[in-house]
Amino acid sequence: MFFISTSRVLKFSWQHFFRNIWLSIVTMTIIVLTLFSLTTMILVNVVADYATNSIKDTVDVSLYFDDEISAEAIGVLRDELEEIVEIKEIKYISADEALLEFKNQHEGDDVMEATLFELEQNPLGATLVLKAYNVEQYPAIMKKIKELKIDELVEKIDYEDHELLIKRINDFTDKVKTFGLIISAIFIFVAILTVFNTIRMGIYIHRKEIGIMRLVGANNWFIRLPFILEGLFYAFLSCFIFWVLVFILLHFFGPKINFFFAEINFNIIDYMESNFLNIFGFEFIIIAIVNMISSIVAMSKFLKI
Amino acid sequence: MIELRNVSKTYSTGTEAVIDVNLHIKSGEFVSLVGRSGVGKSTIVKMLVAEERPTKGRIVLGGWDITRIKIHDIPLLRRQIGVVFQDFKLLPQKTVYENVAFALEVSGYPKKYINEIVPQILMLVNLSDKSHNFPDQLSGGQQQRVSIARALAHRPKILIADEPTGNLDSINTREIIDLLLKINEYKTTVLLVTHNREVVNSLRKRVIAMEDGRIASDKARGRYVF
Repeated sequence: MFFISTSRVLKFSWQHFFRNIWLSIVTMTIIVLTLFSLTTMILVNVVADYATNSIKDTVDVSLYFDDEISAEAIGVLRDELEEIVEIKEIKYISADEALLEFKNQHEGDDVMEATLFELEQNPLGATLVLKAYNVEQYPAIMKKIKELKIDELVEKIDYEDHELLIKRINDFTDKVKTFGLIISAIFIFVAILTVFNTIRMGIYIHRKEIGIMRLVGANNWFIRLPFILEGLFYAFLSCFIFWVLVFILLHFFGPKINFFFAEINFNIIDYMESNFLNIFGFEFIIIAIVNMISSIVAMSKFLKI
Repeated sequence: MIELRNVSKTYSTGTEAVIDVNLHIKSGEFVSLVGRSGVGKSTIVKMLVAEERPTKGRIVLGGWDITRIKIHDIPLLRRQIGVVFQDFKLLPQKTVYENVAFALEVSGYPKKYINEIVPQILMLVNLSDKSHNFPDQLSGGQQQRVSIARALAHRPKILIADEPTGNLDSINTREIIDLLLKINEYKTTVLLVTHNREVVNSLRKRVIAMEDGRIASDKARGRYVF
């Protein structure tokens, strides 16, 4: 009896979907548009993340050594610094490399070029550039560096110059995250309301049918289930159609979008491909749940006796 | 088969639709329930299918006291009564065959049984050649015959026809009434609710007349004289 009912419910759902094909198409169109705005919101958040991470990535702490300090002594210090767990990367720039970099930065500056020409030897010493795993770890790194007592070796540490910048970056990224969350919540709420009302309208259109089914002796779940399943069809098919459209659009516009975001290393094609299942799954689950709840709520009015 | 004992129905607005009605319809009878619009005939039908509950009194249908029927039992009740309505109440997205089959599907009958029974019923109402049509492709008389076929699908002991000819012309009206009489010959109790005087008077069957929510008369071979 259970299997007979299950197969009938599935048959009724499928039949209903196709015999009201225009209503089905309209409903799915609205869901696809909702998915478009949801996915755009997700991507905006992702791009904001990439942008803020890209800014954070430019932050580092440089230890400038006196030109008399040997490479071996710097190597010993480097080994000590590698014990600090917060440090992700230590880059050694030799004195010659530092001079080359300095010349490149000041190319076209006649005064600077003349000054360097006057100096017979390289005035610059070697540098160790330290990068943390994240910006919030720099204060901890600085504290540990001070414990190493390296004042005799190091001519200058430029952290104090960057400290204010690092603080501002942290504040800014926190605000961007909070703003992103609020906007996301609003988008999700609007998306849920849109789908909810679309499904409710669809069921309202069928209210007379529902009444007839009750009069013929169908119980409430026999009436409800086909509509609920139909809602699941809408969710799955809409998500499928949406993602086909997304990959078609990415094929044509993906390279241009990548070029636009080249500075922050954001590759939309790679991101969508690697996160496809997560995003599809998340969107399908939200839309499916909303569809089911909408169907149940909308029908509860017509199933009251 | 159908028994109403001191049944009254007062709506929340204060309207007394049915007042102290007592009637007993035996198994196999053909009874016309007549009266002007608004006298309470449709309210009685609604109480018989548990769409409304009586304010007072008892209703017994085929030995089952349905006065305080539980909500989850109502579908079971409705599967045991065949009901035909003035506006046909067919499912517009299902074919003639599917509309009749639906009455059996809600009861969980297997497909094989349904495929045997539905053609027989369609033959009874002369609609075998229309089984793949949708309701909007049929005339009023044909739609009403589909409605009757659906009502007969699970072989009910009682068939209630609430103004079945209200939307039909005289020729179709005659066909529907003849069909109801034929069904009654198979020992199905038929309760015909109507305000069509010509139909009632041509039947020469039991007539229960209502006036202002009460039974005004109950005659074995009655006429509708109001």
